Amino acid sequence: MPERVVVVGGGMAAVRLSEHLAGDERFVVTVLADEAHPPYNRILLSAVLEGTHPADALTLRSVQWYADHGIELRLGARVLEVDRDAREVVLVDGERVAFDRLVLACGSIPTLPPIRGLVRRDGSLDPRVHPFRSLADCRRLAAEVVPGRRAVVVGGGLLGLQVARALAVRGLRTEVVEGADHLLASHVGPGAGGVLARDLRRLGTEVYTGSRAVRLTDDGLRLDNGYVLPCDLVVLTAGGRPSTALARRAGLMVRRGVVVDHTLTSVTDDRVHAIGDCAEHRRRTTGFVPPAWEQAEVLARVLGGEEASYDGHRSVARLRATGLDVAVLGDPERAEGEVVEVANPVAGSHRRLVVHGGRIVAAALVGDLSRVGLITQLYDRGTLLGPDEPGQLLLPEVADAAAPLPDEAEVCACAGVTAGEIRACGSVGECVDRTRATTGCGGCADVVRRLVGATPTPVAVG
Amino acid sequence: MTETQTETRTETHCPYCSLQCGMRLSARSGGGRRTPEVSAWPEFPVNRGALCRKGWAAAGLYGGRERLTSPLVRDRETGEWSAVSWDAALDRVASGIRAARARGGPDGVAVFGGGGLTNEKAYALGKFARVALGTSQIDYNGRWCMSSAASAGIRAFGLDRGLPFPLADVEEADVLVLVGSNLAETMPPAARHLDRLRERGGRLVVVDPRRTPTADRADLHLQPVPGTDLALALGVLHLLVAAGAVDTAYVSERTTGWEEVRDSVASWWPERVERVTGIDAHEVRALAAMLGEGRKVMVLTARGAEQHSTGTDTVLAWINVTLALGMVGRRGAGYGCLTGQGNGQGGREHGQKADQLPGYRRIDDPASRAHVAAVWGVDPESLPGPGRSAYELLDALGTADGPSALLVLGSNPVVSAPRATHVTARLEALDLLVVCDVVMSETAALADVVLPVTQWAEETGTMTNLEGRVVLRQRALTPPRGVRSDLEVLAGLADRLGCTASFPTEPEEVFAELGRASAGGPADYSAITYDRIRDEQGVFWGGERLFAESFAHPDGRARMHAVEHRGPAEQPCADYPVHLTTGRVLAQYQSGAQTRRVRALPDDGPFVELHPFLAARLGVSAGEPVRVATRRGEMSAPARVVPTIRPDTVFVPFHWVGANRLTNDALDPASRMPEFKACAASVTRA
Repeated sequence: MPERVVVVGGGMAAVRLSEHLAGDERFVVTVLADEAHPPYNRILLSAVLEGTHPADALTLRSVQWYADHGIELRLGARVLEVDRDAREVVLVDGERVAFDRLVLACGSIPTLPPIRGLVRRDGSLDPRVHPFRSLADCRRLAAEVVPGRRAVVVGGGLLGLQVARALAVRGLRTEVVEGADHLLASHVGPGAGGVLARDLRRLGTEVYTGSRAVRLTDDGLRLDNGYVLPCDLVVLTAGGRPSTALARRAGLMVRRGVVVDHTLTSVTDDRVHAIGDCAEHRRRTTGFVPPAWEQAEVLARVLGGEEASYDGHRSVARLRATGLDVAVLGDPERAEGEVVEVANPVAGSHRRLVVHGGRIVAAALVGDLSRVGLITQLYDRGTLLGPDEPGQLLLPEVADAAAPLPDEAEVCACAGVTAGEIRACGSVGECVDRTRATTGCGGCADVVRRLVGATPTPVAVG
Repeated sequence: MTETQTETRTETHCPYCSLQCGMRLSARSGGGRRTPEVSAWPEFPVNRGALCRKGWAAAGLYGGRERLTSPLVRDRETGEWSAVSWDAALDRVASGIRAARARGGPDGVAVFGGGGLTNEKAYALGKFARVALGTSQIDYNGRWCMSSAASAGIRAFGLDRGLPFPLADVEEADVLVLVGSNLAETMPPAARHLDRLRERGGRLVVVDPRRTPTADRADLHLQPVPGTDLALALGVLHLLVAAGAVDTAYVSERTTGWEEVRDSVASWWPERVERVTGIDAHEVRALAAMLGEGRKVMVLTARGAEQHSTGTDTVLAWINVTLALGMVGRRGAGYGCLTGQGNGQGGREHGQKADQLPGYRRIDDPASRAHVAAVWGVDPESLPGPGRSAYELLDALGTADGPSALLVLGSNPVVSAPRATHVTARLEALDLLVVCDVVMSETAALADVVLPVTQWAEETGTMTNLEGRVVLRQRALTPPRGVRSDLEVLAGLADRLGCTASFPTEPEEVFAELGRASAGGPADYSAITYDRIRDEQGVFWGGERLFAESFAHPDGRARMHAVEHRGPAEQPCADYPVHLTTGRVLAQYQSGAQTRRVRALPDDGPFVELHPFLAARLGVSAGEPVRVATRRGEMSAPARVVPTIRPDTVFVPFHWVGANRLTNDALDPASRMPEFKACAASVTRA
């Protein structure tokens, strides 16, 4: 008898798990997705808002794919509760779905910041207010995008900056409000945050840091410093918390997230697992895709009876926002180690590596992403560096200096001809006849033209 | 020229790479000396008279002191070689084969061929294995060349021809992407097409972990972590989908499988690609934007993309990009593979590959077996089935289930096989190793019997270049006394083994038989003759340009396959922290058995190329010896410190013993290609 695996949630962790279990005859998989759209790539929602991606390019797998791989995908399936004794989940319409293994992949839910006036007396949101978590949220906001309108983005974190840039690119007059004293405060220090704020202002987006929105009125959004920002749209990007209500009601141990061990199994019930944003492992929850995928992969192996364990992860956060360059590796504000930093606020860059035991354990690159790919590799792989390397990594790449070409230097590799032999020729034609230089790949033709007939003193090339 | 001298000029082709540059070879006779000389053949369209120094120096292959001119037999007790007569040598080989067959049955004897053999030899070798030996155990070093592109081409298009168009077509592209090719050094005359492409306003993209002379010519050079080209292709396709650049009419009319491929790239956004490939996300975007704008986009892959345990999938991922853009079959656009070896193309079409019969037929297809058996005059039932792939064959030598005798033609696996120390041990475990070669190669040095054979311009034969153009290498020089052609060796052995099938030794006669055997197959040579090749400066099998109207699958459509990034089988770790990749240098070719012996070619030996960051970390200066070690072996060579390589990667050329002691024998599941181009290594001061 195959095991019945029921996955609660249809986000990126759930799809990844489905992909790993697809075609495995030991399992019958049911995915209960509460959204109406088949699972999609959530992290590109701001790209849809900005207009670089159409919404349908985000679909991770077609509905047909799930069917073809024997996975039951139920869209719009809201789970009311988990009956652990009966090993069933109960949907809002009363239907009960039996499981042998339950996987909670419920993600996180946006929290409403304490701003009066967001919710109207009848309990509905003010029509100007937009959360930004789901494709439906994104579509609803995109429908309001009209150039010239005024938008205030509440929250100066990664998502807030992406949304702010997307709206600005689409022609909205956009402002950002951040309660902390600088942008991206949970990832970078004040210097880097300041660079970002200047970049945003340069791109036409005003930034209010160290100020909280307190009230939404007909005049606009009022801040605690007394400013009132007139607005047609308020986008809430600050605050999300793991979705744990189901787990809590089911009596599973929950702190910030559903507490799991290294096999991603609930510490309360070994038939229940949690992955992604809703899971808490070693007292940490994450809000990123790569760890969620890694957890999905580990869990798939655990379900298949393999010895597999999740040992935490290295996080890399990249801002996807036109005109803003940000990469955050690990936790550069709190990681233990020596800090190597190169800042040039004049040019708008701030680059910090945190090095511990010769290894990059965290980094924040703002305003200049040179070598970001390499730095990420060294960080991900824990490469042991020499003492000068971190500094060299942060310095600009120097173009090859124009070196004089000595007579013995080989100019034409195809024919094996040196600079001296070419200088000794009176013309390109003579050079071709005598040395065959330029007759192979042709790459040296420019240099040969410059060298022919030249006095045998070194000349600069390059 | 004096009256007592005569000079003959023969049109022929370079002895080395898959470009098969046309050249004229003059052999002067008279005065007691013969000095062959290479001159240009400007009318030949592939290279238009251009040659690299290997080609110009090709005559240096002739007349060297190291040339073998007598069969040699090695005494296993003393290790001493003695010259014997051809009869004695062939008798010895035949009796060894009979002994191995008596112990292990027909599969107790194996054959290992090469991608440098002419079509005639490749064909005769396949026939010899299946008919005279009755063994399934035949494969060749071409498996280590372009087999990943071959298996991807067959899956996607239903047909594998390296370039489905003439090489000169690359000049017509708006954007040309070279993935893992350093053609400016590996086939220099081909680089002239890149210059003309750019003169026309086309743009060149090179994807390579090293900034090579080819990359120096590029408008955009992307430097991925070795083994991550597949992820780059997925990321590019992701952005093309997002930008609406997909040719939906083409995709719906000419392909199948698009929907799953489209969905599979939804999770490959540029920043994820950056994390996997080490290529900055903005460069991924720049490449996708270039491809999206190009009216004619061409992607060519070479060994850098293909020699991986994920090589087939990597090629499929790039093919998907070209199919999604509607480029395949359009002139000046599409996908192609830059085959490496001289007859890499023809060598894989006529039956020296474990799963094939002549004409690129499958050996497990009953109709193909019947057709070929009829040409050979044997019972189809007598033909063996598919055998082991190249590396698996070598790995099995001298084991309980494996062959105990091996015949090697045109290959030097002691230098060229992955995990070479292990392969050498397998060769040493054989009861009989027979090597046909022109010099005492590292592999020949292990043999029991070495048979001296003719080479290159001493014999006539056809080669099929990287474009699928069949060209004729005409005999221009007299072979030294004492050597025989490979065809004569096979005929002599077949005769001694009591085989009644015929083994003609005249190349043109063999070619005619090859034509009949290939007739009706995917690579059908039946309409090609030596005269036509001479008249038409080479003849394309299948036509000059393929896929304009339809693909070779029964439904006429190309197939798109959803593929996933897996990465190299071996990842860097604490003990082996850097990536190792391997490749060629301009002045040497393959295992170096030929070029290392040509005096006009510089031979500075192997080196270890590394970035100044890594050199500083190790405290190594240029020229100092460094030791490179992997889980399989180690080597030492001088450091070459260059800023053009990724700081997390080292490069070692493979023309000398050493590099392949390090390389990984992990195989691609479809093509059985070993992972030459990426493994984990440690680098230290030697």
